[in-house]
Formats: sequence, C-alpha cells, structure tokens
Amino acid sequence: MTRARHWLLARLGTLALLAGLGWGTVHSAAAADDYKLEGDSLVQEGVPQGTVTKLQWKESKVFPGTERDWWLYVPKQYDGSKPAAVMIFQDGGSYVDPNGQFRTTVVFDNLIHKKQMPVTIGIFLNPGQIPASEPDQKPRSNRSFEYDTLSDQYARFLLEEILPEVSQTYKLSERPEHRAIGGISSGGICAFTAAWERPDAFSKVLSHVGSFTNIRGGHVYPSVIRKTERKPIRVFLQEGSNDLDNLHGNWPLANQEMAAALKFSKYDYRFEYGDGGHNGKHGGALMPESLRWLWRETAK
Amino acid sequence: MSRAVAGWIALCLISLVPTVASAQDMALSGVLLDGEGWQLVSQGHKFTEGPAVDAEGRVYFTDVPESKIFRVEPDGKVTLFDDKTANTNGLMFGPDGLLYGCRNGDKQIVAYNAQGEYTVVAEGVQSNDLVVAGNGSIWCTDPPGERVWHISGDASRTKKVVAEGIRPNGVILTPDQGTLVVTESQEPVLWTFRVERDGSLSHKERYYGPVQLPSRADRPGSDGMTVDSIGRLYVATRAGLQMFDPTGRLGGAIAKPHPGPLSNVCFGGPQLDTLYVTAGDKVYRRKVQAKGVRYQGR
Repeated sequence: MTRARHWLLARLGTLALLAGLGWGTVHSAAAADDYKLEGDSLVQEGVPQGTVTKLQWKESKVFPGTERDWWLYVPKQYDGSKPAAVMIFQDGGSYVDPNGQFRTTVVFDNLIHKKQMPVTIGIFLNPGQIPASEPDQKPRSNRSFEYDTLSDQYARFLLEEILPEVSQTYKLSERPEHRAIGGISSGGICAFTAAWERPDAFSKVLSHVGSFTNIRGGHVYPSVIRKTERKPIRVFLQEGSNDLDNLHGNWPLANQEMAAALKFSKYDYRFEYGDGGHNGKHGGALMPESLRWLWRETAK
Repeated sequence: MSRAVAGWIALCLISLVPTVASAQDMALSGVLLDGEGWQLVSQGHKFTEGPAVDAEGRVYFTDVPESKIFRVEPDGKVTLFDDKTANTNGLMFGPDGLLYGCRNGDKQIVAYNAQGEYTVVAEGVQSNDLVVAGNGSIWCTDPPGERVWHISGDASRTKKVVAEGIRPNGVILTPDQGTLVVTESQEPVLWTFRVERDGSLSHKERYYGPVQLPSRADRPGSDGMTVDSIGRLYVATRAGLQMFDPTGRLGGAIAKPHPGPLSNVCFGGPQLDTLYVTAGDKVYRRKVQAKGVRYQGR
C-alpha cells in the first residue's frame, strides 16, 4: 500500500467514525442534531396510560390488495360519554413505538392528563403493501404511491375505511377541529394532502421533515397555497438544515417555501427549523410542544 | 489495511445512509455513463418498433409499415431478417430462444427460429406489443380492443383476456415476474397489476407516475418499456426515455436522440449494458451502467 493511500484510508476511517457517532456527515457541514426527549415525552409517574392494540387491515377497496399493520391507542380517560378527538399518523409503527424517536402515546398520556390536548384516540397506520402471489417475488410497496401522490385517495381510505372501522367500537368526533393528522417525510406531505383535499375532515397537520419535493409532484404546494383561497387548516412544520438534497429536491428549501407560502396566505401555521437531518429526532423532541400548539383551543 | 478494518469502515459508512426517504433514491447518475451519448444504429426506415435482444446480445427490430425485421450485430452491422412480416410490431425473445412477434396484419402471435421461419402461436389476437415470461407465457396488448391478452406457456397455448377498459400500448414484467406494467399513451401514469399463477392480473393501480409531459402537450405518449437488473423501469415517451425506481417514482428522463417521439426500448449487447431505442425512422443505442434482464423460468 502506498503512503498516500494509507493516509487517505486513515482519514476515511476517522471521517466514518465521526459520522457514525453523529458528529457530522460526509457531504455537508457538521450538524448538532442532538435533540433529546424529555419532560412530557417520558413516562411520568401517576399519569394514567392508555391502551395500544395492534391490528391488521387487509380489506381495503381504496387501495385494492393492500395489507398493513396498524395500532389503535385509546386513552384511559375515554369513557364513551362523548366523542373523542382523533389523530392519525402515517408510518404508524415508528410513531407508536414506546422506545422510538416520537413516543407519541406517552406524550398523549401526559398531555391528556394535563388537559393540554383533548381525549384523543390515536390511529397509527403503516403504509400498505400488496403481497406477491409467489414466495420468491417481491411485494409491491405502496408507501410512496399512498403518501406522495397528490390526490384525495388517501383521505378517502381514512374516511371510507379506517375511521368507520374505529367508529364501530369508539365514538369519534366528526368536527374537523377534532381531527388531526401527522407524519414524517412522505408521511408528512401525505398528512398535508389529506387535509388539503378534505379540510372538512382534517384541520390539523403535523409534518416532520415533510417531503414537499418532486417525488410525485408535491413540490407544487407552495405555489398552489399562494394561489388558492385559504383553507381552514392549521399546520405545524418541522424541518432541519441538514435534511436531504437529492434528485427529488432540497428538503430544507422546500419546507422554507411551504412556510413562506403559508405565511403569505395567512395560514395558522408554525415553522420549527432546526439543524437536524432526515430523521425524527427534532420532531420527536418537539412532539409535546407541537401537540399543545395544534390542540390548543380544543384541549379542555 | 486489514479486511476487518475495511469492514468496519464500510459499516460506519452504511450507517450514514438515511433510512426513511433516500434508501431507494435512484437518480439518472446511477444509469448514465459520462461521455457516452446516443449513437445512430440504423436509419431510412418508415417506423421502427419492437427492439428485442437474443442470447448473443444481438438486437432485432421491426419496421412496422414496411413489414420488415432487421438484426443488429454488436459491432453495429444491420441485416434484414424477414421482409414479409404482415406489419409485425412488438418483438421479444422467449426462454426457448425463439423470437416472438405481434404479427398484427394476420391477427397472430408468431415465433421465429434462427433461420427466419415462423410458426403461429396464437390466432385471432390483435396485438401491439408483448412480453414473454421465463415459463413461455405471453401477455400482449390490444389497443383497439382495449384489452390485454394472456397466452399460456404450455402446449395448449390457451388465450384469454386478462385486463379490459384501458387502451394498452407497451407491456413489461418486473425482474421477478410478479408485477406486470402496461402503458396507455394518453395517461400520465403506468398501470400496474399483480401477476397470478394462471396469468390473470389483479390489484390494478396507477403505480408508476407521474410520467413527465413534453412541453405544450397534455399526453406523455408512453409506449414500450424495459427493466434493468435492480428493478428500474424505462419507458419510451415523447419527453424522453423516462426511468422509474421500483417504488414507482420518476428517477429522471434521459434525453431523446432526435426531436420526435420514442416508440420502444430494450437492453442489448453481449453484456446487456446498452440501451437500444426505436425512434421514428431510426434506431439508436447508448452504453449505460445499468444491465438488462432475461426472465428466468418459474
């Protein structure tokens, strides 16, 4: 091995070590991205805990042939005496994970107990996949199709299939101010699209590192928001300066464009721009604050 | 450097890859080769279609109105293969080494041997393009009939309609042969179906899209397709040769070699590493990083 090559490999190793420990990335300036979960993101003694049930949905007519896992969170305070608020999450497995980056049900327990958000049933949906007909073939991943497509199809899936299914057992509010939807990455733009298409059904949007880029045309939203009569939607956008920059677009710029368009059209919005990358660390750390902000007038 | 250290560095680098959105990001830079552009292969035709690659990497194509099939050697030499094809359109080699063709003037699907003699595989079938699976089973598109046909791979060669209500044009299978994709020239998406064991199709979805539109046009003119070894799909359109990743997202449009539309595409050459496109009166090719697929028997 030549001396120069040895030096290069040594440097590469150091760089990889630094990056592996989260101190930097190979393609951009060093980022902190050192967000921590604390306070209402952690289980608190004496706070009643809701129940989480894992379910499967294989009967979709809106997305024919798809199968998916989903989880239903019911807060301890739900007693059926009045309709519960509803919050839906895409990539539900990540959001419901009690040891994950969001720990949404822990935050729900704490905020509902403090009356900082209403008694809310949480619906955590994974994206669908269409199983292959033979074992050696790949299933069709439906995540990008369901999340990135600009249409009312995903909203119809929720309104025609999932919400009626939950309503068979639980009393759900149908008032749009009691309906929130959130997600990360493509799940974030999916949340916005559901509310944009059906503001009568979903009025609160939580987007973590949302993909308002040209994966399937979602980059048009900032200009469309500016040239469309304001819709009754409240939006919490989280984004980080070290997020993706790839063939589909530049996530930090796209989210800044979204925030500017929401400001221009006088939306009720909040934009939290940190220094994180394409992950749920910052969004997770902000979860208690973002839910307090989204639910503020409906908490009691 | 020891193998252990190399492995450790690789592990650290892999841990950098974001997991949510970019794991399958597939840009054109992963397909194209610097300094490699389109090269003219053949010209002077009326309307070229049906590029198909044989076991040696030679590419065959049709001139539909002239009722001819030509063969392109890897060195670029072009020879006439048949000049009485009854307006044969789409072509593809089967696992048996025969060249299958949409002999639409006679409403037949035919199979050529190496000597240029053909036998009839199915009759009474209007067809534009076809795909032949590893087990010999065939799907072909029937645009005027607004249906997709399946012809079984066994000796019975049973034919049946497996999709209706779309005006299908190109047709292709994913590398694992579990998904069939069909183009419709005016649609900004590609129709996608699950392939069932008996050749029927299920779970239709507007999966690949949106297809890029040419400027001042409201339809992409999506036509023939091919796939590469990692599941990227290439579709000939009026806005170039558009590449989609396996999750249905546009990766980019490769520039056209001429101003008119492209009609079809295949991988050719002994290494299957050269894209061949049929383009109006001409055929072009271009060496790329990607490699084509031969469907294996099931």
